[in-house]
Amino acid sequence: MPDSPELNPVVHGRLRLALLSLLSGVEEAEFTWLRAKTAATDGNLGAQLLKLEEAGYVAVEKKFVSRKPQTLYRISETGRQALTEYVQALKQLLGPAIDT
Amino acid sequence: MQDHTADQELKDRLDLIESMIAEGRRNIESWGWTFVVWGLTYYIAIGWSALGHSAWAWPVTIMIAVIVTVVVATLKSDNHPVTTLGRAIGSIWMALGISMVVLFLSLGLSGRLTDQHLFVAVISAILGMANGASALILRWKVQFACAVVWWAATVGTCFATDAQTTIMFLVAIFLCQIVFGIYGMIAESNQRKRRGPIHA
Repeated sequence: MPDSPELNPVVHGRLRLALLSLLSGVEEAEFTWLRAKTAATDGNLGAQLLKLEEAGYVAVEKKFVSRKPQTLYRISETGRQALTEYVQALKQLLGPAIDT
Repeated sequence: MQDHTADQELKDRLDLIESMIAEGRRNIESWGWTFVVWGLTYYIAIGWSALGHSAWAWPVTIMIAVIVTVVVATLKSDNHPVTTLGRAIGSIWMALGISMVVLFLSLGLSGRLTDQHLFVAVISAILGMANGASALILRWKVQFACAVVWWAATVGTCFATDAQTTIMFLVAIFLCQIVFGIYGMIAESNQRKRRGPIHA
């Protein structure tokens, strides 16, 4: 019997998973857009994005546009790979239950 | 029981991934207002040119609509992210806008915008092309139906009387600009209401 795959704990967190999924569909996104899409609080969102950044799953760029600070997030290749592996592990764990 | 709960949690995770990835596509629906603005633009231009018989009706109305669209779009897209899909769809509509301005401004100013049938056929074909391309990229059946309506208007107007051509054009504008635009705005509004907070 094959071993059950482990789910990556960094990706598994609900908000972190939502953030990685959102970032996988865009080239880059602002903090405010991610906040609007997830309806998370600033503190929680910042903390989860920091965990993803520390894991090397997202890259951060801070800049000023019209004198206003702007923080842009972009999924890294490692992050994209981690998300793909997570989805594969989920599907493997669910097996036939995926269609029920 | 515990297995069932665990399975359900894993399925919730899969659903979450799918719904978040779909957000990129949902951004498109925030453009519903542009369909309504352009639908009203066509109605104003048609009314003005019919009542005033002015060659300036179309060029002036379209130029004002372009300015309104650019200003409102810039304000609305303040913090929207760039997506490949969004750029592809945006490029289609931007190219359509430029083509319409160049073509109808030149025809209007040169006084050659005289054949009503040809005018409606060209404008309907261009709008059918843009709606069709956008619908095929997004796999959006409702928008493809709009493309079919425009293409039907293109064919119909070539064989119809003046009055029938006008009616066909007005109906196509109503269905594909006003109704479709309002549908897009309602869909966007419903998605905003459904979306709850996501916790860590």
